Amino acid sequence: MDSTGADIRFDDVSVTYPNGFTGLKGINLSIPAGEMVGIVGLSGAGKSTLVRTINGLVPITSGRISVGNHQLTGRGEAQLRGRDLRELRSNVGMVFQSFNLARRTTVINNVLMGRLYHSPAWRTLLGAWKNDDVELAMSALERVEIVQKAYEKASSLSGGQQQRVAIARTLAQRPKVILADEPVASLDPPTSHVVMRDLQRINAELGITVVVNLHFLDLARRYSDRLIGLRSGEVVFDGPGADADESVFESIYGRSLTAEDVLDAKPVLDTEVDLNAEVELDAVVKRGAGSEL
Amino acid sequence: MSAGTAGKTGIQVSPAHPGRPVKPRHGAQVGAAVVVLAAITVWAGIGVQINIAAIWENWSNASGNIIQLLQPDYGFFPKVIPALVETLQMAVIATAVGSALSLPLAFLASRATNPRPGLLRATRLVMNIVRAVPDILYAAILVAVVGVGALSGVMALILFNVGIIVKLVSEALDGEDPGALEAALAAGASWPKANRAAMLPQILPSFASQVLYTFELNIRASTVIGLVGAGGLGILIDNVRSFFRYHELSMIILSILALVLVLESVSSALRRKLV
Repeated sequence: MDSTGADIRFDDVSVTYPNGFTGLKGINLSIPAGEMVGIVGLSGAGKSTLVRTINGLVPITSGRISVGNHQLTGRGEAQLRGRDLRELRSNVGMVFQSFNLARRTTVINNVLMGRLYHSPAWRTLLGAWKNDDVELAMSALERVEIVQKAYEKASSLSGGQQQRVAIARTLAQRPKVILADEPVASLDPPTSHVVMRDLQRINAELGITVVVNLHFLDLARRYSDRLIGLRSGEVVFDGPGADADESVFESIYGRSLTAEDVLDAKPVLDTEVDLNAEVELDAVVKRGAGSEL
Repeated sequence: MSAGTAGKTGIQVSPAHPGRPVKPRHGAQVGAAVVVLAAITVWAGIGVQINIAAIWENWSNASGNIIQLLQPDYGFFPKVIPALVETLQMAVIATAVGSALSLPLAFLASRATNPRPGLLRATRLVMNIVRAVPDILYAAILVAVVGVGALSGVMALILFNVGIIVKLVSEALDGEDPGALEAALAAGASWPKANRAAMLPQILPSFASQVLYTFELNIRASTVIGLVGAGGLGILIDNVRSFFRYHELSMIILSILALVLVLESVSSALRRKLV
């Protein structure tokens, strides 16, 4: 499963929804191939809009986005559509907050959905997948260590297992980019770390560009190379997580950091959790609480 | 009257327990609704001239028929069998063809699975018309077009089945969580492929359940449409009834009852396993 990442570039991208709500305002970003980017911000700040513009799920109003050699443009210009749009999407995997599996069918059938773009219509109709596709799906399940569940119904799996199946589904695409929209918001803290580590490992081992929206600041700091803070549709911070100090938090959240903004406000009983990160996090929380500043 | 008013909000509170709200009363609305419904029913009864006295006046005639109906001619059963089998065969074919046609139409008729508003509206309009025509009317028209016999009956039942299954399955699709569909589209699948892979497995159990249900309906419907010459038991019923052979009619009714009871119990047992 040799995948390499794609560059993502935003040039003055704005999104205005049909109801007049402004999702994004003049976003300029350059995400080099192979980077793992965490996007943080309050709900409504435009995190979800931002990742959904990258695969065209949310059409942009103006500006230009390039993903590898694909271009997404604003209203009034030649739109990426039909087969060209599907080709772009086949190169971009997406992980959702609520897993988005077809719960009444098997795990392997769900992972094979990542091959739909490449599979001929008659094979899809009959469910007669090519052996190569099944092999690819199985090895994707092996990568997230859940291959033993391949023939079980998706609904019989726990939340964390379902999210790993969803990650395997993106891997079956052999993607150049993986987008994750609040991938751990429906999961408990220990499971959240398992899923985030899976994404981190995929980024490191396969070189796939990963863009992940996270509500929790500590998770974003721990698992991403680069942090992007959004507020009211604008980028208010862009840099390494370590540079994100109290004033940066305030600019993103409009207030001081509180325990609600971090996942592990209390140390969790998860032996695999990196304790150093935990200590560093404690310092962040204390600073956020205003004990030093 | 005994209730106080809670400050600025204006919500009624019970005086004995200031924290609890007073039970809301809807007596007047319910009373008005009952009066209106009763008035409509009386109006309808007067309109169709329900005359209970007529039942008594015709009693001597009716009692003789009822006594004959209570004495089925069991010797007639061998002659019922071919028509019974034909009814069953009509129901099987109509259910099979009807459900095969319905599945793609259901996907076209659901907002969740059809992204083209024009095509969606056109499909729904056609399906509403198909469903609005009663099965016996289809049978009467088709008998006139293709002639007396099982073929016209099967065609009438197919139209009847498509109307029901498309309605119920497209509603099941509307109510289905579109998450997996969104994921398939985000992975680059076209709408038809995404529907096949993400939505079909989700509604398959309810589809199978509707198919069994329409099969039950077809057994009953095929006896009725036979009355206008569209094959099956209905033709036999019409024949014996027009010669007032009530002992034989009684045997036919008994056979239908047995068939329907057996098929319904099998079908509902299967459907319980599905959903």
